[in-house]
Amino acid sequence: MSTKEQKERIELLQGTLDLLVLRTLLLGRAHGHAIAKAIEFNSDEVLQVEQGSLYPALHRLIKRGWIAVEAGISENNRHAKFYRLTAKGRRQLALETNKWDKLAGAIARILRPAEQGDQS
Amino acid sequence: MRRRKRMLEELDQDIRDHIERQTLDNVERGLPPEEARYAAMRKFGNVTRVKEETREVWSFVWLEQLLQDIHFGLRMLRKSPGFAAAAILTLALGIGANTAIFSLIDAVILRSLPVQNPSQLVVLKWSARNPPNVHGYGSSGDCPMELRSGTANAYGCSFSEPMFREIANANIFSATAAFANSGRLNLTGNGPATVINGQLVSGDFFRTMGLKPAAGRLFEADDDKLSSAPVAVLNYGYWQSAFGGSRDVVGHAIELNNVPFTIIGVAEQRFTGIAPGSDYDVWLPLSDAQRVNERWQNHRSDDVSNWWLTIVGRLKPGTQLAPGQAAVSGLFRNEVLYGSVPLFHAGEPMGPTPQQAAPTGGSAQLRREVRSGGGPPASDKSPLISSIPLQGNKPFIRPAPQAGPPTDRLSAPETARGPQTLSRAADNPQVTLVPAQTGLTGARAQYSDPLRVLMLAVGLILLIACANVAGLILARGAARQKEMAMRLALGAGRARVGRQLLTESVLLSSLGGTFGILFAYWGAHAIVSFVSANQTRPLGFATGIDLRVLGFTVAVSLLTGILFGIAPTFRSLRVNLTPALKEGEGSSASFGHADGKWLSIGNTLVVAQIALAIVVLVGAGLLVRTLANLRSVDVGFDSHNILIFGIDPTLIGYKGPQVDSFYRDLQGRLSETPGAKSVSYSMVPLLNNGLMITVFHWPGTPQDQQSEADMLGVGPNFFETLHIPFLAGRGFTASDFKLSASNSGATPTSAPTPVVVNQAFVEKYLGKESPLGKKFGESPADANGPPSPGYEIVGVVRDAKYSNLRREIHPGMYMPQSVGGASFELRTAADPQAILPAIREVVSQVSTNLPLFDVKTESMQIDRLLFQERLVARLAGFFGLLALVLACVGLYGLLSYEVSRRTREIGIRMALGAHRGSVLKLVLRQGIVLATAGAAVGVGVAVGVMRYLTSMLYDVHANDPLTMIAVAALLTVVALTACYIPARRAMRVDPMVALRYE
Repeated sequence: MSTKEQKERIELLQGTLDLLVLRTLLLGRAHGHAIAKAIEFNSDEVLQVEQGSLYPALHRLIKRGWIAVEAGISENNRHAKFYRLTAKGRRQLALETNKWDKLAGAIARILRPAEQGDQS
Repeated sequence: MRRRKRMLEELDQDIRDHIERQTLDNVERGLPPEEARYAAMRKFGNVTRVKEETREVWSFVWLEQLLQDIHFGLRMLRKSPGFAAAAILTLALGIGANTAIFSLIDAVILRSLPVQNPSQLVVLKWSARNPPNVHGYGSSGDCPMELRSGTANAYGCSFSEPMFREIANANIFSATAAFANSGRLNLTGNGPATVINGQLVSGDFFRTMGLKPAAGRLFEADDDKLSSAPVAVLNYGYWQSAFGGSRDVVGHAIELNNVPFTIIGVAEQRFTGIAPGSDYDVWLPLSDAQRVNERWQNHRSDDVSNWWLTIVGRLKPGTQLAPGQAAVSGLFRNEVLYGSVPLFHAGEPMGPTPQQAAPTGGSAQLRREVRSGGGPPASDKSPLISSIPLQGNKPFIRPAPQAGPPTDRLSAPETARGPQTLSRAADNPQVTLVPAQTGLTGARAQYSDPLRVLMLAVGLILLIACANVAGLILARGAARQKEMAMRLALGAGRARVGRQLLTESVLLSSLGGTFGILFAYWGAHAIVSFVSANQTRPLGFATGIDLRVLGFTVAVSLLTGILFGIAPTFRSLRVNLTPALKEGEGSSASFGHADGKWLSIGNTLVVAQIALAIVVLVGAGLLVRTLANLRSVDVGFDSHNILIFGIDPTLIGYKGPQVDSFYRDLQGRLSETPGAKSVSYSMVPLLNNGLMITVFHWPGTPQDQQSEADMLGVGPNFFETLHIPFLAGRGFTASDFKLSASNSGATPTSAPTPVVVNQAFVEKYLGKESPLGKKFGESPADANGPPSPGYEIVGVVRDAKYSNLRREIHPGMYMPQSVGGASFELRTAADPQAILPAIREVVSQVSTNLPLFDVKTESMQIDRLLFQERLVARLAGFFGLLALVLACVGLYGLLSYEVSRRTREIGIRMALGAHRGSVLKLVLRQGIVLATAGAAVGVGVAVGVMRYLTSMLYDVHANDPLTMIAVAALLTVVALTACYIPARRAMRVDPMVALRYE
């Protein structure tokens, strides 16, 4: 996708989409488009989601039992499919977030050892 | 599953909703509706792929896609039945040939021994730098051995009986067993007398093997005692054929060599013998060895210097080889280094064996019976048990005499004056434990080389078939280019399309494999029955399609499919979409580039096919020429119209002079039979793989130098009967036979034994000297025996082949036969088979209890001798033709495709005035270039590879230029024919039609 008009967009890391979806759903149930928008918006439009790739991810999460589907009415009064986090998904999110923090921290320490030292 | 279906059903709707929402968002941001929609779709990405990936989440997608691919593949195949049939047939031939040969390899080499937990069984193998000082060594052909004096490393797997008892008692193994061939057994008490084939086994044999009885019981330790009554266990197959599988057989009394035995049971069906390919009719306890064969030395069972037993041990569960090996080796070293050797002490009674009694003049002379073609003991009955690997003409000690148990004398010169121990520490004698699966080679040794060569040949055939089918697919792939471009353009992933193409190839190869199995089943069966038809006994290998063979076929089919599918697949995926879609099939301009590529792959494939075909053909040519050379070998006697059969009166108790008079009497009666022109007998028939070599001292050479010659005992009229012409001197007279008989007795006369020698003997030992009256080989009495009067040459005959066709003619001597079993030779006026009933009649007049064995004509005998060569030549020839046909079909296919692709170009050329001849040349040139390139590469490869065949060839060099040229010429001619058909089609192109084709 073209990136000309955007400020600076970053392609999502492999596998992080699942984490972002779970995090988004922590705030409450949402339909597909809303999830995609939320991810983009919350990341200050830096993260670029090819919206289509959301669907395999959603189905993956459903299959693992981390999210569930329910029918509902969307904000503009239309039938829509809502996704919500399950208890299992909540646990998984905690786990994944923890893992991610460790990873990000480790990478940051390697990339910016001095700054890290200053901060801590 | 249901959830999955529902989820996927809603996916389309979800995606539509999503895009609609995004569109609305975009509109809100102020984009014009049209643009908003495009932006939304762009942002969403490839809808088809999203759907695909989502579906993949719900697993089993690969399976679903596979089924889809298979379904589609089948439809594609149905659409082009000609292509499908050609490809499947080619693959079926390739895979089938491989499966057939592999099923033989499986039966002969890979299949585990027919016992319980075969991996626990080990066979004991001794080795030493020099052969041990044993005075008797026999092998049943169960494993390889090397015993020739002067060898750098002697080894074998025969041990003395005391050694066996010691090892068995040492409790090193959980069970220990020993066994040896029993020699010929004359069975009476079940219809007419027959000669059968038995094995002597220790009491623990069946327990060690972990076998169960099919009826009655098997041996126990107590059966193997001199005090117990003789008992026998039958082979299941023999029980079925000779006793009709009746359970009443248990307790039934039979006589073996006039000794009464009681049948106590039948071994389980799968067990025909422990060594691969062995097939014994009956098993007897070791303790009965001397009962059934009086010629066995009396002290054999406690003689440490008579090695004749193969020993197998079962490792205790969970133990390693090493400790057991150290223990056994320790016992062995103790025995051979420090044990006293009861060599030929004066006064020690020694049963007169044919060898010892023979008038070679004393035991100081090495007297060996050697086989150089097939092998050991009962090998005339079962050449399979006899295989000992041979290289060229190197003789080895034939383990057992023709008609009896292994009692060969082996007395190297050192024996007389050397140390009185079996071996010396310097020789480093030791025992290794070899897994029985690999250590007991049996008949495997004989078949493994030809099988490997054939496996290689069929492997090449499969490669040719692969190249062939790959060519077909490529040609078709060009036609499917538009389809592929369309699929890719519609958003199919390249991997997905590639997988589909590979699925189609594997589908083809699987179908080929399925038909291939049928072909293999039939082929393996045909090969086995061909082999069996050339053996006196059935082959002890059971071939069949077992799991391993099936696995092999499946693996080969998959591999084949991938192998030939991979090139066309890559080719299809590199399609440049736009031109492929724009132009259709049949256009040529923008295809130029792509076609150039496919052509180069196609050309390479054809060149490879031709080269591989050349390799297979050259191999086949060499093997066929070997067979032809062997067939046209001058055997030195007239092999037509000779009937041979064995008869052994010693089996029913004839002794000494009785044997001679029996033979003389029978000879007289047989020669009066109508239809018999002349009758004689000899110790072994000619060209039967049997061979005896005698060692003597030639006057004028240093005292300790031994000279060597082939030796054959013959009856009266032998040379006349076989048409071996005399070049000088005379044949044997009645008094010669008397003299020979007394010289071979305990008290030889002082007159030398008269012998007739061959040309090679004269050439080597006498040169220009007159042979007649020459005396040689005298020896004084010494520790090893009485003095020997030596020999005197009374006649010279033309050279004749002795043991087999491959062995060169060595210096040889014939002497009057006086003791031991013999084989009769009958020259007949017409078909030798016709007078067989009359002969049986005559024999039964002499003795009702003596069966004839190994009845055959000399030409059958030669055929049998050559059966392996015939088998290999026939199969290799067949595979060679197959390779040729496949390669030519490949060439034909390529050129046909070329012509149809270039029809328009050819039409234009012709419209512009090209001659038909030049069009013909255009196509032919490509064919000739390809064929020549292939032939050149093939000959190059063949030159590098054929030397591996050397051991199987006879009188033809591995790089025989004539064969190479002939094969290359044959291939070129056939290839030209294959080119000519499409070329002619090209020539007949009608320019008008071709141009209108547009």
